[in-house]
Amino acid sequence: MNDTISTPPAVRTEDLWKVYPQEPEPVEAVKSLDLIVEPGDFVAMAGPSGSGKTTVLNLLGGLTRPTRGRIWIDGEEVSDMRDRDLARLRLERIGFVFQAYNLLPVLTALENAEFTLLLRGTPAEERHRRVMDLFREMGLDGLEDRRPGRLSGGQQQRVAVARAVAGDPALVLADEPTANLDTATSAALLDVMERLNRERGTTFVFSTHDPRVMERARRLIHLVDGEIESDVRRDAGAVAP
Amino acid sequence: MRFLILLRLSARAVGRNLRRSALTAAAMALGLALLVFSRALSDGGHEQWIDSAVRLGTGHVAIQAPEFLETGRLEHRLDSSALRSVERALDDPRVTSAVRARTTHLAVPGLASSAAAALPARIEGVDPALEAAFSPLPEMVQGGEYLQPGDRLKAFIGAEMARRLELEVGERFVLTAQNAEGEVEGQMVRVAGIYRTGIQEMDEGVVHLPLETARTWLSAPGAATTVSLLLGESRSTDEVTETLRAILEDHPEIRVMGWRQASPDLDSAVRIDDYGDYLFHTILFAIVGLAVLNAIMMSVLGRRREFGILQALGLTPAETGWVVFGEGLFLTAVSGVAGMVLGYVVTWGFFRDGLDFSSLMDEEMSLSGGIIETVIVPVFYLKHVLVSVGYMTVIGILASIYPARRATLLDVAEAMKFEQ
Repeated sequence: MNDTISTPPAVRTEDLWKVYPQEPEPVEAVKSLDLIVEPGDFVAMAGPSGSGKTTVLNLLGGLTRPTRGRIWIDGEEVSDMRDRDLARLRLERIGFVFQAYNLLPVLTALENAEFTLLLRGTPAEERHRRVMDLFREMGLDGLEDRRPGRLSGGQQQRVAVARAVAGDPALVLADEPTANLDTATSAALLDVMERLNRERGTTFVFSTHDPRVMERARRLIHLVDGEIESDVRRDAGAVAP
Repeated sequence: MRFLILLRLSARAVGRNLRRSALTAAAMALGLALLVFSRALSDGGHEQWIDSAVRLGTGHVAIQAPEFLETGRLEHRLDSSALRSVERALDDPRVTSAVRARTTHLAVPGLASSAAAALPARIEGVDPALEAAFSPLPEMVQGGEYLQPGDRLKAFIGAEMARRLELEVGERFVLTAQNAEGEVEGQMVRVAGIYRTGIQEMDEGVVHLPLETARTWLSAPGAATTVSLLLGESRSTDEVTETLRAILEDHPEIRVMGWRQASPDLDSAVRIDDYGDYLFHTILFAIVGLAVLNAIMMSVLGRRREFGILQALGLTPAETGWVVFGEGLFLTAVSGVAGMVLGYVVTWGFFRDGLDFSSLMDEEMSLSGGIIETVIVPVFYLKHVLVSVGYMTVIGILASIYPARRATLLDVAEAMKFEQ
């Protein structure tokens, strides 16, 4: 008899719904979403505005609660977790990259990138070493002491990526990370994220309108009106529903 | 560890929004400075008022026979034996160190009459030397002079009494009262001097004559109706009163009272004035509290996205609330220190010699036996300054709770949509 230890999916959802109560009638932002993302995947969710991409990311990140259905992150069910447990999950297993960078304006670039490690109680020396390694990898060295207001958009987004991956999360959720960046900066950022995915095995799930992101994704999910219209794995064809 | 991180975030947020923080802190600091100033002025005014009332009355501490306060009759006097016990008690170092001056009165109700008229009078036998150190009356001479040691058949009367009895300095009139044996006795005296306090009932009704003259006339040798103590500070009244009561507990013929008990009218007037101050301070606190609440609330509403990010990164809603609460505490601490220093510096720097209200009051006013001076000298009581700081801290804390609560109730996904 073979004993095998199966690795749980990085993300799994089952009949996931998000309905916003609104007049004259409720808005169904996500409808019966069944999704599995394997660890180490590099997934892009595309679709027109209002298709539910950001809502799906918010649901996966525990930033909003589902109306119905279940979510597992790294094997742990999060659908009905208490607020403080969700906060712990976000801190320990999920990294976020937002369209608007969302660095904390009161902290320097280095402090922003270190923030989740600081909250986890990682010793200062290790914290500093890990973030400085990332800064060097991402061409941010020399900018450690700058506040976000004194960084370009591309630099801010790289700091945001450094913050998202510094704690080696199981999953990075990136909401239109290149939307505010020019072509060259977007390409450089995607290079960084691809390398992190390849070298560290970090799972990335993007929401995007950007064809350059879609081109680089190994799996492309197309959402329309809160439902998966297509789910294509670039290296192996369509994913079975 | 995480608590320190939250504190650091709070401090950074205060520093980052420097203009808003400075305005909020300035509102709080000015409010507290105004409070310190107002309290110092109020305490100074009260101290002067009480001081004048007790010096014209029975002192901060009055020692009498038990029933004298209620009856005012000579039969309820301290005899020479009781007075010796009182003297011994007053020699206690705990008492002598607190006493600024003391005097002895033999007082009876009576009648002052001249050829022109007769008036009811409170006749007080006093030791001229002790009285000069105790009472402001000797400094309020309008004509003639105050009683001198060695005077016998002389009297010091108020200006109103002199007017109504048509008396001048040097003229004679008759005092009539019931003596210790219950007999009505008359005593002719000559006007040594005339005073004016501005207190109608005193100027018209109080007569001073030498203590020994009064004792002889009233057949009460060695007796007194009141021994009055003037203390260095009115705040010591309760302590000295309790000390004397303890020393004299085996003497039921002696009653020791603080000025609040001995002068209930003055006590009521001071309490009413205190309530007015409390009302003013409450309104001031409410205004400052609302200013702080508004500033912190605006800060929270303007930074919803920032709080959303904090929660997205792993802070719990409660921890986000602590960050906001910490900001309120920082502002309160900074403005508390600044306000206290500012209030002290302004009060001490500009008004240490007193704040002159003479443009508002033509002359001194009297109330409940005390004179309200036109120049009020502020007095700092550390306890009152600390209480003001304590109140301001409470206001800062209360004003921070609601915004902190709002921050905990944030919808993170919605908050992330907000523009910074």
